[in-house]
Amino acid sequence: MASHSVFDKDTLPSPNVHSTPIVPSYFNPVSPFFNAYDRFTRWRQDLGLPYPGSVENTQKEVKATHLTNYIFDGARADLTKNLSFDPLFQLTHSFVLGSSVQPASYSLGVTFARENLFLQGTMDHEGSVNARFNHGWTANNIFKAQAQLSQQAGHNMIQLEHDFIGTDYHLNFKAVNPSPADGSGVYIGSYLQSITKNLALGVESLYQRAAQGSDLANSYLAKVTSTDKTWIATAQVQPQGVLQATYWQKLSEKVEVAADLQVINAPTRRDAIATLGARYDFRAAQFRAQVDSTGKVSALLEQRFVPAFAFLVSGEIDHFKNQAKVGVGIMIESSSLSPEEMAALAAQQQSPQL
Amino acid sequence: MPSEDTKERINKAVEVGRTILHYGWIPLIIYIGFTRSNPKPELFKLISPLA
Repeated sequence: MASHSVFDKDTLPSPNVHSTPIVPSYFNPVSPFFNAYDRFTRWRQDLGLPYPGSVENTQKEVKATHLTNYIFDGARADLTKNLSFDPLFQLTHSFVLGSSVQPASYSLGVTFARENLFLQGTMDHEGSVNARFNHGWTANNIFKAQAQLSQQAGHNMIQLEHDFIGTDYHLNFKAVNPSPADGSGVYIGSYLQSITKNLALGVESLYQRAAQGSDLANSYLAKVTSTDKTWIATAQVQPQGVLQATYWQKLSEKVEVAADLQVINAPTRRDAIATLGARYDFRAAQFRAQVDSTGKVSALLEQRFVPAFAFLVSGEIDHFKNQAKVGVGIMIESSSLSPEEMAALAAQQQSPQL
Repeated sequence: MPSEDTKERINKAVEVGRTILHYGWIPLIIYIGFTRSNPKPELFKLISPLA
């Protein structure tokens, strides 16, 4: 017990320094290190730095504003059936027809989600399966797995991922196609840290290991967020001379604009592409428009006539190549619950103690 | 470094696991969703795309 009195003397509560309460434990011999770590953590908390988001999501706002990820051509229909809301369980039947980039296809998607678990699977008519699995061990410790499985050899992919979410940083580890036999595969680690209230700096390392030799590539990024979070600017320098800069601004509740500049300055290829886009959110519709420096003008309208039925129109004109693409789509959502069951569920959610 | 024999065995195990995942993943999610849903859906509504 004598050792405890020594520690008590050392950690007398002073008005300015936080004190660590000492409890008798087997860790007492190493507690100076723990105390130093606690002090460091407190000092870090006192800075009050915001969470910067993950490296993967630095351009999330830009990608949600631009329509590059949303545009389609030909005809498509998505029939979603909600079988349960808590836990979420839904089935989606997707049909794609007459597209110039992919053949006609049908795919079945199933999703099951609970508070800390997310399971998703998609299977197309050729038998290829896409699988996703997310599990949150704690709120800031998330494991993710993703796999693409197909009958053809060489088209299989598995990706294992772990996210550590801190108060002012985000750390992510990824392994793509890791082989337990010889350790080959692609390993990616990324770290984004808030430096001030507005600035976050990050690094992403990609380590490729194969039987022929290994390769390490680093990319660096910076993200500036305005204090009221109405605009975000990011820049990323990738190896082999690729620079990507983006800017996103929320002009009003309903309008967001985003710009993206990609400069490639490699020995074999010198190129630059600029993209400018806007997104309008209306009460029952969403409209995206985009123009880029390769001469493409595109637009996408998503109109919800009733909450369960949406109609999509997309179009793209390539002025330099004299090509055009048009797409129409519908999205129908239905629920297997009868109106009475819905009402009962709503009442249950309002008074959970019953 | 594992021996050639062990490597071959690991590769075989990975291949079997991959096949199980390929054919079992979607049925597994449907089974979990079907048994854990609240309220439990009818089987007919699950398989028919129109209901």
